[in-house]
Amino acid sequence: MTNPHLVHARPNSLRTRHRLIAPLSDLHICGSIKSVESLRRHLQTAIELEHSTIPPYLCALYSIDATTNAFAYQTIQSVVMEEMLHMILACNILNALGGRPSIDHPHFIPEYPTYLPHSNQAFKVPLEKFSKHTLHTFLKIEQPAPAAAPPEANHYQTIGQFYKALKHAINYLDAVTPGGIFTGDPSRQVLPEHYYGGGGKLIAVYDLDDANQAIDEIVGQGEGIDGTIFDTDSVMFGEEVEYAHYFKYNEILHERRYAPTDSAKLPPTGPAVAVNWQAVSDMQTNPKMADFPVGSPTWQAMHEFNRTYMTLLRALHDACNGAPASIATAIPQMYALKYQALALMQIPNGKGHMTGPSFEYIRL
Amino acid sequence: MSEIYDVVIVGSGIAGAVLAATLTQAGKRVLMLEAGLTAGAALTPQAAYENYQHYVQNFYSKANKATNGPYPDIPDAPSPDVLEIQAKTPYDTGYLVQEGPLPFASDCLRGPGGTTLHWLGNVPRMLPNDFKMHSLYGQGVDWPISYEDLKPYYEMAENEIGVSGSVSAQVGPDMNRTNYGADYEFPMHEIPQSYQDQQWIKNTQGLKVWLKGKEYTITCVSMPQGRNSVPNTAYTYGAVQWDAQAQKLVMPKTRVPYQVVGSVWDPYTGERCEGNASCVPICPVQAKYNALKTLKKCVQKNLSIRTQAVASQLNIDANSKEITGIVYKKYAHPNSSEYTQEVAQGKIYVLAASALENPKLLLASNAANSSDQVGRNLMDHLVMLTWGLFPEKIYPYRGPGCTTYIPSFRDGEFRRDFAAWISPIDNWGWSWPTFAPGTDVSNALAANIFGEQLRTTIADTVPRQALLHFECEQTPDPNNRITIDERYKDHLGNYRPVIHYDATDYLRKSFAAAKEVSDQIFAANGIEDHTVYNPTEADYVTWHGRGYTFRGAGHIVGTHRMGDKPNNSVVNPQQRTWDHPNLYLIGCGNMPTLGTSNPTLTMVALTYMAAENILKQLAE
Repeated sequence: MTNPHLVHARPNSLRTRHRLIAPLSDLHICGSIKSVESLRRHLQTAIELEHSTIPPYLCALYSIDATTNAFAYQTIQSVVMEEMLHMILACNILNALGGRPSIDHPHFIPEYPTYLPHSNQAFKVPLEKFSKHTLHTFLKIEQPAPAAAPPEANHYQTIGQFYKALKHAINYLDAVTPGGIFTGDPSRQVLPEHYYGGGGKLIAVYDLDDANQAIDEIVGQGEGIDGTIFDTDSVMFGEEVEYAHYFKYNEILHERRYAPTDSAKLPPTGPAVAVNWQAVSDMQTNPKMADFPVGSPTWQAMHEFNRTYMTLLRALHDACNGAPASIATAIPQMYALKYQALALMQIPNGKGHMTGPSFEYIRL
Repeated sequence: MSEIYDVVIVGSGIAGAVLAATLTQAGKRVLMLEAGLTAGAALTPQAAYENYQHYVQNFYSKANKATNGPYPDIPDAPSPDVLEIQAKTPYDTGYLVQEGPLPFASDCLRGPGGTTLHWLGNVPRMLPNDFKMHSLYGQGVDWPISYEDLKPYYEMAENEIGVSGSVSAQVGPDMNRTNYGADYEFPMHEIPQSYQDQQWIKNTQGLKVWLKGKEYTITCVSMPQGRNSVPNTAYTYGAVQWDAQAQKLVMPKTRVPYQVVGSVWDPYTGERCEGNASCVPICPVQAKYNALKTLKKCVQKNLSIRTQAVASQLNIDANSKEITGIVYKKYAHPNSSEYTQEVAQGKIYVLAASALENPKLLLASNAANSSDQVGRNLMDHLVMLTWGLFPEKIYPYRGPGCTTYIPSFRDGEFRRDFAAWISPIDNWGWSWPTFAPGTDVSNALAANIFGEQLRTTIADTVPRQALLHFECEQTPDPNNRITIDERYKDHLGNYRPVIHYDATDYLRKSFAAAKEVSDQIFAANGIEDHTVYNPTEADYVTWHGRGYTFRGAGHIVGTHRMGDKPNNSVVNPQQRTWDHPNLYLIGCGNMPTLGTSNPTLTMVALTYMAAENILKQLAE
């Protein structure tokens, strides 16, 4: 891809889509984000927030089998893919604002169990195998914001409030800044051509419109649109009906699909689906390399996994820092990651459980 | 049941699916009859996923990874199977009744999506000269249409299948930029040529070989293929549409980049080839095109698919010769011989059930056969394999099945004398000829090699296994044919295809020539030849005292060919039967000759042509 402006002109960049979130009439409300620098810092938080959900979701995913638990497997997998998409979307917004996403620094991966970054610290998210308890945690992560919930740049209750604050700030700062705030180098955008296989259409961000669309995509896939169970893709892209994350997880928990007429406030009432709560790898909660002697075979297997994870993050970091095509090198790492995690879940931890992936920073 | 559709289509493979998508998008109401299981036609994400995972698990669990292995074997609608082949004819132990003298070596798949489920996905176009075999080389017949006539429809086929490739790389005999047009690109960039191909290319690109006193230059070209890659932003076409005003199919120019079509269960699975290397028999992520993707693009409210419905007879009005209905047998259980008989009715009828099933159905109905050509001219690419060990490891199985081919013998004066061929460089080690690597392990065990030594032996040989592949063009021969016989019927009382088949000297000479070329390529690459043609094998033939074994390419064509006269062909250039005003045939059976291309792309191009004619006829 040599000409970003060609892509920019494409109808795929959503010129004709509906506005999905109420128009921002109160441009004077700026909240706590009062400068572009602060906005960039909050977007870095958004990237870390999106990323922080991926290891817990992957642990649940890898602990079940794609064939014996097809519905749960596919559901969690689809959510993970969308979280990856959100992470890259957040990077595209940050790059459009002249920022530099940082994906490979030592504190990028939170230490599990963790609060969601910058949240109100209402609950901690552990690395755990698939279970009803785990699903309840996932529902808390994806809890939709009430329509009237105020934007919250810090100490947010729901992720939706956080993004609402970002959106307000982007719109406000763009309006009051001479020449606007979209000063980033367009060649730093990860383009739809580079990104695939992950949960939705990537939007290249060059201006305010694109940024708003990108945020709508993130919030819509995660929490649903305006109190419905549907996600943005079915509304924005005319795709098959897909439900927002919260409702996808709720379907697993209730072992039942939503019916199209179901309300977002009530449990699903559609056809039953089979969920096997027993056929789950008995991974220990929050495994750590420090649980095992340095250099022991288990420690080495965990180290190898973390090395793969760091290599993957490094590839994503490069992709979001001027070398978008290097995202392709992350793909084989994603496969390696899965196989190494599955192998870890076959290793007894000596305390009656299996070990598992620990998602810890190591220096490459 | 009494509902009358605009068009009744028999078969949901790529031809039927492309036609159904085109017609339903033009607002026509289509009924499709599909012999295979209902589960296979599921297009909702959950059901499609579960059914396809079932196929994938079948593939994983079967010791032999043959073409139809992953898919249901249905007694009520049997498919031929390459594993059934025997050396000694006649025999009738499989679905095909093989009268010989040689057994027909190819199979296809009856079921939703048809053979595109197990196809490889190589989609080179035919060459302009392929359409003029008789006038140029005195072999076979000329087509009633030219390459130029078909060209716009090739573009439609490449759009629908989603071809990845490099147009500018398509250079060889009778093949260059002008075949495509100055600005033309494929929808997606070429799939990177595999590591092993790069090793082949080092000593093969530009190699001079001698054959019958003449020098030829070998070149290696990236293979256009129907599997997903990075969209080419220079590609400017949108999807095919019916322009009712102009009465033609068009591809409007657009600035929207090509939309990669992922799996039928999830648009974000299979958006790129992942190099699983199991393209045949199954792509686990559906990065490879299959016809279910096109079925899913049909305007569903205009389409009824009746599954587990095996067409068995055409009803024909004795006076007008119009088809008045298609009798089909609907079974509830694929193993039971019980069925209910129903009749499908439409204004126009189209058989899209493959070059084996279409002629069978016509013969069973005494239809379309005033020329006596129905079932005749059965053709395939006769595949001669050569295999050996590279001096260094080339690591087959990285990437899809084939990313490079040698076009050097696709066309030339030699076609007067012996058959042209295309040489794909296969990425599957010796798996085809020797069932490697499984046999490498069992052979080593038999030689009492085990443990560390076994690992070393396998690690030393399997990554060095190289396979070359010569797909020789069979020419039409009226005696290579499908017939029906009261003695041979399937579970539901439908006819089984009875096959009469042989390989002429034109092909045997080609095997000898190809082996000479192979020897020179092997020598240039330092490859140690391990090729063995065993007289006890099926389809072992001799030429001038030397033996060669050929295999089937799965390219079953020619059995209801298109022509310009009713006395030498079954369908006219509009692909309508000469004998029945409302009966069209589509599929590879219409091809008068085969050329050296994998035929699916050409067949889809022909199908778009047929779709246009059908829409015109419906408008009248």
